[in-house]
Parts: sequence; structure tokens; C-alpha cells
Amino acid sequence: MNGHPLLEAREVTVRFGGLVAVDAVSAAFAAGELVGIIGPNGAGKTTFFNALSGVVAPTDGELFAQGVRLTGAPAHRYAHHGIARTFQTPRVFADLSVAANIDFGLQFAGRGRSASWLLKDEESILNLIGLATQAALPAGAITPSQQRLLEIGMALATRPKLLLLDEVAAGLTEAEINQMAQLIRRLRDELDLTVIWIEHAVTTLLNYVERVIVLHQGKKIADGLPSEVVRNAEVVEAYLGDEMVEPA
Amino acid sequence: MKESTHRDLIVLFGLTGWALAVPHYGSDFVVSLTLSCLMYAALASSWALFCGATRYISLATSAFFGVGAYASALTLDQLPWLAVVGLGAAVAALVALVMGLAVLHLRGTYFAVLTFGMTELIRHAITYWEKQVTGTVGRVLSVVPERDTVYLTVLALAVGAVAVAIAVRGSRFGLALAGIGADEQRAQTLGVNTRLVKTGGFVLTAAFAGAVGAAMSVRWTYLDPVVVFNPFIGFQTVLIALIGGAATLWGPLLAALVFSLLAETLRLQLPQLYMMSLGLLLILCVLYLPGGLASLRWATFRQWRDDIRDRWRELTTPLKKEAAS
Repeated sequence: MNGHPLLEAREVTVRFGGLVAVDAVSAAFAAGELVGIIGPNGAGKTTFFNALSGVVAPTDGELFAQGVRLTGAPAHRYAHHGIARTFQTPRVFADLSVAANIDFGLQFAGRGRSASWLLKDEESILNLIGLATQAALPAGAITPSQQRLLEIGMALATRPKLLLLDEVAAGLTEAEINQMAQLIRRLRDELDLTVIWIEHAVTTLLNYVERVIVLHQGKKIADGLPSEVVRNAEVVEAYLGDEMVEPA
Repeated sequence: MKESTHRDLIVLFGLTGWALAVPHYGSDFVVSLTLSCLMYAALASSWALFCGATRYISLATSAFFGVGAYASALTLDQLPWLAVVGLGAAVAALVALVMGLAVLHLRGTYFAVLTFGMTELIRHAITYWEKQVTGTVGRVLSVVPERDTVYLTVLALAVGAVAVAIAVRGSRFGLALAGIGADEQRAQTLGVNTRLVKTGGFVLTAAFAGAVGAAMSVRWTYLDPVVVFNPFIGFQTVLIALIGGAATLWGPLLAALVFSLLAETLRLQLPQLYMMSLGLLLILCVLYLPGGLASLRWATFRQWRDDIRDRWRELTTPLKKEAAS
């Protein structure tokens, strides 16, 4: 580590035609952080993720991974700098087996990278995400909640330093959400991963993260401890409103 | 090595042996039939290697074939035969590199139409150059290699195309191509340098088409841009690969065999019937056999039989009820 944050966004703006989806957002993420990003629908959360993972090039602003400028670089370079992501709707390779989906990341961004024993090989990753018994099935044949786990597994197979999770708990049952949260905690605690987690279900998220960023109409309106953020007047007005949440 | 790779190599070995024997006992007709089959096997297998896996439908095969043929026509009396074929491959690869950098960021119809447009551009550019600069329209090839030399060269290219396809299937490169075909952006976020992989695959495909063009050009004693850049060569390659099964290893080869037989038996006597059967086969494949001929199994036939029977029952049940009431 060279004193630089793992990933840093400086005044990142993403514009689609006349629409400003992300408006000059700056944020830095250090090693081992567990950060949540919340915001109402259309706040620009997913677009911000797309910028952070190189899927969309920012219209303005800069992105750095450990001090290396990555602005405008293709997504595979972000992956090679240890930035992995999942997609809101699982995008697994449906025709390939569950095991082959994991193998994909290991063959490309994860290749030749030092890995903890938890991410040693295909088998250990399958065990970690709890899909070992489904290994031989085609990824298109497992349940949607299993596909969400597989998405995480595919991202882990790139042996990342930072993991971007886009609504991984959406559509899961209460029990499944808790399992998912346990898994994410474990990734952070045991792999020392930085995790940035977008979730629509604010209550769940605030229970697990240590820092939360609030986006509203593309702008960052708050960044801090969950207990402080929920008391922030602007946040309450913009987002939480009547579904005000008990801080954990 | 995987078991399937083993099996594929053995099949390839057997087919090669059989094809090697053809010039020794076959009549001129049989040799020429096998040669055209081998040519399409080489073109379609190498096309499917990139385009089948990634679903980037390229219509530029005629361009690569054509520049290969032209390179061969220009250098045939100065260079040794293998150098001529190699040069054809190299020139086509270079053209593909330039073309690929220009159009490989496009997908679907845009990619297909642009590759076709660039093929036409190359054809007209060469026609113009021939007329204005060299003052000829076509070229006469006076010294051509023996029949068996050409045959063995095209055989080697066909075997090479299938062998490379087998090797690619088991490699990281093949996995990257398949990932691009399934979800390009996802593959990229998992660390695949998609631009590099796509350009590499496109150039590889083109090199084979260029080499085949260089080797086949000597079959015409006279060539001009209209003959060697015939778009039909490109279309037929795509049709063969799709009908055979572009995502499969043996499909293109299987369909190349079917097509050359059809072509030779029908084209001379009943040219319209040949084109019609091509069209019909394509429609039937797209509707009922999206995986191509190579995906045919006994279960496919059983499925069709059951479907037809169920359909028949649906249609006849109301009639029976009516009759009963």
C-alpha cells in the first residue's frame, strides 16, 4: 500500500445527453472499509458504480486506483487493478456450468494474483458462497437467489481488493438477506476486502455497514457514520422521510 | 487433455487420411468436388472459430479471400508456392487488422453491414487501381502449380482450421471468445481485454480465408476483382457455418460436405433449385434447429415426432368430438 486510497473518485460526473446522472461526486475508499450507498430511485447509485468499475467512462472528473489514474480506461483494466463488481440483475453465463462461471474470473483478472486460501481455487470459492453442490449445473438453471450468490462468486474469482455490490439482497427473503449480510461481513473480515454496497432496503444496509454515502439527484448529500447520516436533515427530507429508520 | 479433445483429434486424423487418399483413386470430378468441399470446410470452420463463438457475424470473408487471391496472382511467378500462400494469409490478416480496429466496437447488424460495405470498398478500390494504375482489368495466370499441390495445400488449410478450432476451444482465448459471445461487458469486468481478443480472433479468421484465396486463385486461369471478390463466397461461408452450427466444432465441416455435394449435383443442371434449397435449408435451420446440423441427435427426431403427434391430436380432437355429438 502506498498511502493512496484503494479507489478514489474526484468530482466524477456522468452525463447522458442532457441528463446529469452523477453530479461531481467525490469519495475515497480505504482498505477494509464496509461502505453503503443509499439514495432514492434514480439517484445515480448504479451509474456511479458503473463509473467506479469502468463500465461507463465519466464525462468529467478523475478516477484513481491506489494512485494510478484509470479515468476512461476500459473495464478490464479496473478488474486488473482489483476492482470487482456484481450487477443488479445477475449476469451469469447461463450456458456455462456454475463452476465454469467461477473459473472465468480465475482465468482472467484473477490469474497470477496472490490469493487468500479462501479464494485459492474454484472449489474454495464455491464453498465460500455455498454453491458447491450446484457446481455442475448450468448457471441458467439455478434459482435467482443462487444466481446472486454466483455473481458474487464470479467477482471474487477475480481476487479483488475492492468489491462493488449492486443490490445483491433485492428480492431475497429475510433469512436469505441475513445470510447474504453474514457472507459480506465475512468477506471483509477474513479477506480484508473493501466492500461498497448499494441496497434499496435501507434498514438492512444500515445495520451492517460502518459508513454510508447518500446520493440524491446525482449529488452526494451525506457521507459518514450510519447513526449520524440518518439524523442529517437533508437526508431525512430527500430520502428517508416517513420511512425513518431506527439507527442500529 | 480433455476426453472430447482426444476424440476430436482422432476424428480429424481419420478424415485427413481419407482426404489424402482421394487424389490417388478419385476421378478429376471427385477431386474437384472434394477440393471445393475442403475450401468451404476451411472457410466455414475458421469463420465459426471467431464469428460463431462471439456472434459477430462478419460478411468480409470475400474480402480476405479476394486479397489473398490477388496477392497470389501478383507473386506467383516470383515466389515459391508456400511463400505465396503465406503472403496471401499475411495480407488478409493485415486488412483484417485495419478493418477490425475500425468496426469491432460495433455489434449485430451494424457490424455485419459494415464488414460487407468494406468488402465492396476493397473490391472497387482494386478495380480502380487495376484500371488506372496498371492498365489491366484482369490477370492471366500462366504458370500454375499442379492439381495435387493445390489439393494438398487446401487440405492442409482445412485440417489446420479445424485443428486450430480444437486448440482454441480448450484455451483461455477460446473461453474469452465464448464470454464475449455470451455477455461482452460481463467478460470485460472479469478481466478480459475484449478489444484485443476480438481483433486477434478476427485476424486469425482472415488469415485462413486469405490463405485459402491464395491457394484457390490458381484454379482460375484468369482472375479479375469480380471473380475473386464474389460476395457469394462470403455469403456461402456464413450460410454453411450457420446451417452446420456456428457454435459447434464439426458443424461447419459437416455442412460444407452437404453443400458441395448439393452444389455440384444441382448447380449445373438446376441452378435455381440449388439457390432455393440453400434458402430453404437456412429457414428450416433457423426455425427448427437453431444449433445447426451438428446439434441433431436421435432425441431431436423424437422431439419432432412428439411435437407433430401432439399437434395432430390437438387438431383432430375437436373433430372427433363433433363427430361424436
